[in-house]
Amino acid sequence: MTNKHVVNAIDAPETAKQANIAELDINIKVNYQQFTLAIDLSIPLTGITGIFGHSASGKSTLLRAIAGLEKSLLGSITLTNNALASNTLVNTEQGYYLKPEHRQVGLVFQNSRLFGHLSVFGNLEYAVKRCKNSQLNLNEIIELTELSNLLAHRVDELSGGQQQRVALARAILAEPKLLLLDEPLSALDQHSKSQLLKMMLTIQKRLNLPMLYVSHSLAELQQVCDNLLVLAKGKVVNFGNIHQVIHQFNRYKENDIIEHQTSLSLPIKAINAHHGLTTLVLNDKQDIYLASDEDFQQQTYLRCFILASDISISLTEPSNSSIVNHLLGTINAISHRDNSVLLTVQCGTQDFFVTISAFSQQRLSLSIKQPVYLQFKAGAVRTFIH
Amino acid sequence: MNTSDFQALMTTLEMAALTTAILLVIGTPLAWYLAKMTSRFKVVIEAIVALPLVLPPTVLGFYLLIAFSPEHLPGQLWQQATGKQLAFSFSAIVIGSVLYSLPFVVQPLQKAFEQLGDSLVEAGALLGAGPIDRFFSIVLPLTKASFITAASLGFAHTVGEFGVILMIGGNIPGETRVLSIALFDHVEAFDYARAHLLAISLLIGSMVLLAAIYWLNLPRKKRLKRLPIDIEQGEPSND
Repeated sequence: MTNKHVVNAIDAPETAKQANIAELDINIKVNYQQFTLAIDLSIPLTGITGIFGHSASGKSTLLRAIAGLEKSLLGSITLTNNALASNTLVNTEQGYYLKPEHRQVGLVFQNSRLFGHLSVFGNLEYAVKRCKNSQLNLNEIIELTELSNLLAHRVDELSGGQQQRVALARAILAEPKLLLLDEPLSALDQHSKSQLLKMMLTIQKRLNLPMLYVSHSLAELQQVCDNLLVLAKGKVVNFGNIHQVIHQFNRYKENDIIEHQTSLSLPIKAINAHHGLTTLVLNDKQDIYLASDEDFQQQTYLRCFILASDISISLTEPSNSSIVNHLLGTINAISHRDNSVLLTVQCGTQDFFVTISAFSQQRLSLSIKQPVYLQFKAGAVRTFIH
Repeated sequence: MNTSDFQALMTTLEMAALTTAILLVIGTPLAWYLAKMTSRFKVVIEAIVALPLVLPPTVLGFYLLIAFSPEHLPGQLWQQATGKQLAFSFSAIVIGSVLYSLPFVVQPLQKAFEQLGDSLVEAGALLGAGPIDRFFSIVLPLTKASFITAASLGFAHTVGEFGVILMIGGNIPGETRVLSIALFDHVEAFDYARAHLLAISLLIGSMVLLAAIYWLNLPRKKRLKRLPIDIEQGEPSND
């Protein structure tokens, strides 16, 4: 990502103070010889907030600063909880520095950092023993992280995924007000990754524990995060609702981060067992159909995405087609890439991104504000359930 | 072994035990500090700590003798505080031993702390453990083998000391007459039988102690019961 990609925060989530929810106020500078992290940002602490960036973008340094492990920082970090009680973690102007053991901020590291001289249970107990006024039920956390069968094991006997589950459970049992996750999945296989992502979501909802989740994989962040912070070279590039930030990536000319796509979270309207199709509500008048999965039964909302190359354009309603999804929309933007054209088509309030060939664009003589039909197969609506 | 040799043995063990205890108390923070230190003065401090490894014991003993004498400040302060002369006392040989055996305790501990790194200590802090708690609950259990090595080497090296003690302690029975000096006395007096007895005892004792250290440093057997698990895939039941 180069500097010309830098945009101002788009549609920043409504300020936390208005909504009466927890918030993390960061105004810090961390200077290294080759690298400076400079962040001035308020992060509303709802759900899981993703932090995305390439290596050396400052993601881990930011987490370490919040956790109190970064000693050479200047500035202040304040954690406001949902009762609007402010807790200053650091304020170098006032010479105030709260030690990490007093911050009530948890951190799950990339390499789980379990204590090798203790068993799995010993590691969990370590956190419980040091937690003042512990409220959590140890057995409930063991169940949520599926560790019941592993409690007596040595930690070096565990697989990477099991180790990260112990690390997650241990961090939660310290009962932090904010949980930081620093690339917790990067060393895991695909199965363990999706298992841990599901666990993070369940735990976040069950305990109402805000999380900041650092990853270099946008696909992982897209599965669980509500808001996304994008860092590059130690600076904030973008911050906002995750789908909007992903759409913002589509607009960059040199986008090597993610395939052009439309990213969505939509309510489930119906699961039709007979046809094997599930209906999602796009707006009052328009629905989207996709192939059903048994996992949908437990959900009310579904996260999905449609690749820009999977959508085609028609000037008339394709009523005699096997393609189930056809949505009427208006062309909002036309952007020429090498041999293709990226169209932004607005259906209701939702933008869809469509890649077509330059040839088709000329043949259909598409122009801004023109009404068109988008069409895509049910199978083109991709979900994250494995 | 007659009474005077037995007395020398007791003096030696007492000196070595006290020296080892003091070394662990001052050597641990010093080793920790050196392990975490990034300043360029680190090499200077490391060199000072390592000096007794290369210096003839008589050099160290000579300067300590001067410092401990009532004419010089350390000796004067000691005399004011305790009312006794420092040179040629049991305290003098303990102080001398602490300096002389310092690298044998500090170096293995420093190496262990460096290998342990910050990561687990940081993890402990984020779970709410303060610095003292972290030392006893994480650092100490994970570097236990190095502490055993450091204490044993410090003890064994102190038992084997000769030059420094001869310079600052002399040869006062029950006070500063240790085994190595008693041995030297027997040789001087051509009493080879008693010299042999002490020499072979020191040899076997040191041998046993070193063998014990190496045995303790062998990879420990798995302490917790091994259960059959699928290491790669997690529990299959979760699929």
